[in-house]
Amino acid sequence: MNTPFRLDDHPRRLHSLAPPPAGYFEQLPRRVMDRVQPTPTEAPALSWLARLPLPLRTALASTLLLGGFAASLILSVTPTSASATLAAVPQEQLVQYLLANDARVTLADLADLPASAPTTAAAYLHASPEELQRALDAQPTDDSYL
Amino acid sequence: MEDQEILTKFADPASRNLAFNQLVRKYQQRVYWHVRKMVVDHQDADDLTQDTFVKVWKHLENFRQDASLYTWIYRIATNECLNFLSAKRRKFFLPLNDVGAELLAKVEADPGVLSGDEVEQKLQKAILRLPDKQRLVFNLKYYEDMTYEQMADVTGTSVGALKASYHHAVKKIEQYVNNQSAND
Repeated sequence: MNTPFRLDDHPRRLHSLAPPPAGYFEQLPRRVMDRVQPTPTEAPALSWLARLPLPLRTALASTLLLGGFAASLILSVTPTSASATLAAVPQEQLVQYLLANDARVTLADLADLPASAPTTAAAYLHASPEELQRALDAQPTDDSYL
Repeated sequence: MEDQEILTKFADPASRNLAFNQLVRKYQQRVYWHVRKMVVDHQDADDLTQDTFVKVWKHLENFRQDASLYTWIYRIATNECLNFLSAKRRKFFLPLNDVGAELLAKVEADPGVLSGDEVEQKLQKAILRLPDKQRLVFNLKYYEDMTYEQMADVTGTSVGALKASYHHAVKKIEQYVNNQSAND
C-alpha cells in the first residue's frame, strides 16, 4: 500500500517550471533600464515646450500658423508693377518690336511719340518737319483725330 | 550591494542608474520566479517582471522604509500578478476558479513546461488548482520561505488569516495528490 503524500516529507524543488530562455537574466536589466530611461528622441532645446500648459501651447501653435500664412502672402506679392517692368526694356527694342510685328499701334500712339520722345521719332522716322507737316495735312480732318 | 546602499545611491541623481541596475540584478530572479509561479507562461512572466521593476523605479524615491525593500518589491510584483489574473478573468468572463483551470490546461498542453517526477508534477497541478490568493500565500511560504510577518507586509493580510490560508492550502494539495495517486 502506498504511503499517503505529505508535503513536509516531499523534497522541495524551487523551480519545477521550465527555465526561461538562455541569457534571459543577463538581458533583463538592460531591457528594464531601457524602459525607465527618458526617450532620446525628445529634443532638449524644445523640452520647455512640453512643460507649457495645454491652452498656451494651442495658442502658440495657432499664432505660428497664422504668422506663417501671412508671411507667405507678403512674400508672394511681386514688388515690381507692369509699367516698371516695361520701363526696364530698352526703348530701341520696343521700337523694333513695334516695327517688326503686326502690333496694332493707333494713330494716337504715333501722335504721342514725337511729343514724349522727340529724339526717338527723329531717329526712326528720318523725316524733316516739312515732310511731317505734309503727312499730317494729308490726314482726313475727322473729329475723331482731334 | 546592500539594500540600504542601493537606496542611498538611488537618492543621488549621479548614481541613480547604477543603483537601480544593481537592484534589478539583485532581485530579478526572485521576482521572475515569484511571478512565473503565479502566471505559468514565460512571456506573461517577462512582461509582469518588467512592469514590476518599472513601478519600483517610479516609486522608489517615495519608499518610506516602513517595510524592507525586499517585501516592498514583492508587494508590487504580487499586485501586478493579481491584477493580471483578474483582468484575464474579466476578459474571458471566467468564473473565479477557472483561471487555475486555464493555467492547468496550459501546463498539460505542453509537457515540457513542468519538470520533475510524477509526484512532483501532481504537486504542481494541485498548486495550480488553488484560488489565486491562496496559491500566492502557499508560494510565499513554501517556496520563498517567508515569515508570516513578511507575508503580511506583502499581502496586506493578517498573520492569523495567512496561517489559516496556508494550512488549508496544504490540506487541499495533499488531498488532491492522494486522490490522483489512488486513481492511477
